[in-house]
Amino acid sequence: MSNRILHGLACAAVLIAAPSQGADLNPSDPVAGRSHWAFKPLVETRPAVTQEGGWSRSPIDDFIKARLELASLRPAADASPRALIRRLYFQLIGLPPTPEEVRRFLDDQRPDAFERVVDALLSSPQFGERWGRHWLDLARYADSNGLDENFLFREAWRYRKWVIHAVNANMPFDRFVLEQIAGDALPFDSTEQRDQQRIAAGFLVVGAKVLLGNDAMRQRMEVADEQIDTIGRTFFGLTLGCARCHDHKFEPVPRADYYALAGILTSTQVMEQRHMLGEQRVMERLVGLGPDGDVLDASYEKYWREVPNLKERSKQAKSALEILEKGDADAFKVLVEKQPNAVSEAAKNLTLPVEKRVESQKSLVAELSDILAKPPKIPPRAMIPADMDAPADEAIRLAGQFDRPGERVPRGFLQVVSKGARPKIPDGKSGRMELARWMADVENGAGQLTARILVNRLWHHLLGRGIVRTVDNFGRTGEMPSHPELLDHLAKELIDSGWSIKTVVRQIVLSRTFAMSSAYNAKAHIIDPDNRLLWRAHRRRLDPEALRDAMLRAAGQLDLSPMDSTVWYLGDQATAVGKNEVRRRTDFPCRTVYLPVIRNDLPELFQVFDFADPHSTTGARPQTTAATQGLFMLNDRMVMDAAESLARRILADDRIPASGARIDRMFDLILNTPPTDEERDAFLDFVQKSEKRLTEEGGTEPAIRAWSMACHAMFSTSRFQFLE
Amino acid sequence: MHCDQFTHSITRRAMLRASAGGFGHLVLSALAARGVAASGLVPGPALSTAQVPHFTARAKRIIFLFMWGGPSHVDLFDPKPRLTQSTGKPLTGKDVGDKRDQLGQALGSPFKFAQHGQSGIWMSELFPHLARQADRLCVMRSVHTEGNAHGEALLRLHTGQANLVRPSVGAWVSYGLGSESDNLPAFITLSPPRGHGGVQNYGSAFLPAIHHGTAIGSAEIPIAKAVIPNLTNHRLNPGQQRSQLDLVQSLNRTHLRDAEMDPGIEGLIGSYELAFRMQSTMPQIMSLSDESQATLDLYGVGHEPTNNFARQCLLARKFAERGVRYIQVSTDYTWDHHNKVEKGHIEEAAKVDQPIAGLLQDLDQRGLLKDTLVLWGGEFGRTPTVENGDGRGHHPQVFTMWMAGGGVRNGLTYGATDDFGYHPVENPVHMHDLHATLLHALGMNHERLTYRYAGRDFRLTDVFGKVVHGVLG
Repeated sequence: MSNRILHGLACAAVLIAAPSQGADLNPSDPVAGRSHWAFKPLVETRPAVTQEGGWSRSPIDDFIKARLELASLRPAADASPRALIRRLYFQLIGLPPTPEEVRRFLDDQRPDAFERVVDALLSSPQFGERWGRHWLDLARYADSNGLDENFLFREAWRYRKWVIHAVNANMPFDRFVLEQIAGDALPFDSTEQRDQQRIAAGFLVVGAKVLLGNDAMRQRMEVADEQIDTIGRTFFGLTLGCARCHDHKFEPVPRADYYALAGILTSTQVMEQRHMLGEQRVMERLVGLGPDGDVLDASYEKYWREVPNLKERSKQAKSALEILEKGDADAFKVLVEKQPNAVSEAAKNLTLPVEKRVESQKSLVAELSDILAKPPKIPPRAMIPADMDAPADEAIRLAGQFDRPGERVPRGFLQVVSKGARPKIPDGKSGRMELARWMADVENGAGQLTARILVNRLWHHLLGRGIVRTVDNFGRTGEMPSHPELLDHLAKELIDSGWSIKTVVRQIVLSRTFAMSSAYNAKAHIIDPDNRLLWRAHRRRLDPEALRDAMLRAAGQLDLSPMDSTVWYLGDQATAVGKNEVRRRTDFPCRTVYLPVIRNDLPELFQVFDFADPHSTTGARPQTTAATQGLFMLNDRMVMDAAESLARRILADDRIPASGARIDRMFDLILNTPPTDEERDAFLDFVQKSEKRLTEEGGTEPAIRAWSMACHAMFSTSRFQFLE
Repeated sequence: MHCDQFTHSITRRAMLRASAGGFGHLVLSALAARGVAASGLVPGPALSTAQVPHFTARAKRIIFLFMWGGPSHVDLFDPKPRLTQSTGKPLTGKDVGDKRDQLGQALGSPFKFAQHGQSGIWMSELFPHLARQADRLCVMRSVHTEGNAHGEALLRLHTGQANLVRPSVGAWVSYGLGSESDNLPAFITLSPPRGHGGVQNYGSAFLPAIHHGTAIGSAEIPIAKAVIPNLTNHRLNPGQQRSQLDLVQSLNRTHLRDAEMDPGIEGLIGSYELAFRMQSTMPQIMSLSDESQATLDLYGVGHEPTNNFARQCLLARKFAERGVRYIQVSTDYTWDHHNKVEKGHIEEAAKVDQPIAGLLQDLDQRGLLKDTLVLWGGEFGRTPTVENGDGRGHHPQVFTMWMAGGGVRNGLTYGATDDFGYHPVENPVHMHDLHATLLHALGMNHERLTYRYAGRDFRLTDVFGKVVHGVLG
């Protein structure tokens, strides 16, 4: 049995709740499928007039309020200004505000004070680091291959950098898609622009691949399958993989659609043969950057291709030298005939005195050893796809088996969201350009679906749950939207703004809905326990990036400068079989988004706090609670170092010599809020007792240590780790 | 579909009330809203939609002894006189019913084989200790899998899949059965490989993270030096830490009181208490100081070449005793003998023979063997043909694994290979079949132990697998 035989049967065999539909309907029929809500055209509805006016600030609020009223629910009161500003900072830039920033906001009496903060954050470089990371979850970004052979992706960071930059620049989303799907084929005005566009297309290359598969065709189909899975879930909210073996059992995706897309991707080259770990292997495709990129890359690869010959030549040169020194003329002659390039011209010249010949051969030996000892530096390169030399349509594979080709299918897109004639793909092209344009084509392509998917993701990140909670599944097996009209409204806003993500984010955070408190309400909880209708804000746990960044920030340890590679010191195998003494480091003072993402060897922080599994698209990270999280907060060195650094920072502050004021400052730095009297007393008592005990036990710096324990305790609280 | 499908959720507090053990027994389930990933808290019986056990369990836990690299079946459990006679001669496809013409040069085993115990199980001379336990074994000679490279084969052995990230066997077992212990996770893997799929081989993939295997050490580190990350605080003593935790928890309880109802905060409070307890229980278990000299000797602790694997096996018993459901013990990457298969196998067998035999005896003496299923094997077998003059290549086409203990029909040799050990010819057991059988022994139906993810219900065996009833008692 091969891994993919009848794989698709699984979709039917084990699915519990099939969607209800007419028994005679073919679920994979793309025309009939257009009646599913997600594939219907966007509808602009005016929100129903709410009974109780005055609450709403925007159409978003009208939609939310109207739905709440239908369920006899009321929105929660506004969050306190402190809670709101903290929430805003974390959601937009992934960092807490400083006490000074909070103070400035609280003191700002202008009616647009909040709006001003929003605009400042939207244009801060930290915005891209937060929201770029959301995209990297979808792009299954990683610094290593994972799966069977975990080779390092030494150059992946360039794609990460491109994403962060594009988000900061508010690159229109249709362009953002275009560059990632077909950036290598776009026109350019400069080498810099060419390189950036190419790097963007690294989106297609950064996936995990089984590298030691024996069959090239199988690998090609597997790679395309991984790309189709990523594209399908990221952009269309559909699990297209099911249509690899058969017409989709639930979604309006016939098998032919899968292979129409597969043809585009198998016409795209993402793998190449190149040097790795002393041999030629089929690896991800790398291209040199800069004006001389191709030349540098070619000469680098050439060097490694020649190393085996060079080694042989060097060996022979050494023995030629020995023979020459021994004076064995016959053996010398044999060697010269066998490997003439292992003997220097002067050494071959029998008319020269022996000393001269030896000297000349010695310098050849030295020269060869030198070349071997000094391999060229790795030139600047990036993971970049290209169209195949002969792009072609793909054949359907019977039962999904790569070696059972059936009928060929013209390259194309998903019929369920296509209008008009099949796209024309120019000769000699893969069709990625056409695919990317179709993805954002609002008239005849998938643009309206793409917009719905995207705004739902924005909503998910800002409010805690999507309007469609199954953010990567808008198909028949996904959930229905809780507020379909709002979803369409936001999608329209996105399109009308020229696909501006910042515009939609801005509208959402300026809504009154975003500003609700997370206060519990017993009655509302009975009616809507999951808070689907948003009668309050969702209380959320900080993700690992925000958690670490916030601790380092409070400690004064966080360096906000962007980082390029954080994996340069690793060998070609990111996780090696064997001693593996060089492992990914996490001790960089940079923002967490730049820490190494080694598949199958994630930093503990990531593993423990539900980081996205970088093997596949993750629109909604899991949210778990486990003892390992407790262990991390109680014992991790980074946490304790941050606590100590914060303690020193507070104790060194001459403005707050009193213990009570120091506690207040600690709360302000970590929680953006003063303690209650009860909390202040509890901490004072703890610090005093700890300091007394540490003094009695001897040892250095009892005060620092007592305060470090207090700061560490503060980091460990639920108030710090949850966002109200 | 209608919106009302979302209103069925059971609050975690209600579940807490319903479960007498409080936090220690609280677990989440597939009942939690799908799409918003169900979350686990701390070990306890899982409420999977599948309502397990599906039928009477024959075993309560599994210990898997993993021989990384691929032991050679024809040198250990599957004697092939015709292969020995043919040594040096070409083996053709016709000899073994293979499509290919030439398969290489036959290499017979240099080892003597004999039958052992009442049941007459065949074993080579490399396992003298294990031979005395022969009647406890069920030797499956017809296991087969895919993947000619280690990475793919390891992933298939541990997760059933290679090109897709899927939960590991141990994670499925944890999901299905939960842990019997308040202080320990349900799935522990001792000295797991870092390469060839690494963490994926004990990962939880889309299952709640609580089912992720807890790794202790890694293959290349002696188990005596292995540490669990963040299990120990190097700056605070337990008294200081307790006073600190008391402060934290009092704030957390105030927070919970103010929030009135929040499963996340409740979970966090519980996770600290479990973490604190684990800090003292785990080192107690990891230290072998409470074991008698007789026990240590039984396994071969303190002697070479057995010391390291003996310690691992002894730890496996200690975890089994304390209610861990799935325990894996791995060798280092030492069974991959492309060269010098004779010397290599002599050395590797000597490291594991006594520890394994000791484990079987010890489990039996403590009454644990009757409900502990012990599984032995590698990711594939080795070719009956020669490689590099004195070695053997990778052979997923067929190889031997054995089981012992709870639920297993002991003293049995199951399945058979052709005269050269190249292909299975009787009762083939595919990797998916083995997985189905393991779940069955634990009382779970592999077709009903499912988890919904990305719009479909997944299971360990995908759409494959049939229970091999012949090997179950």
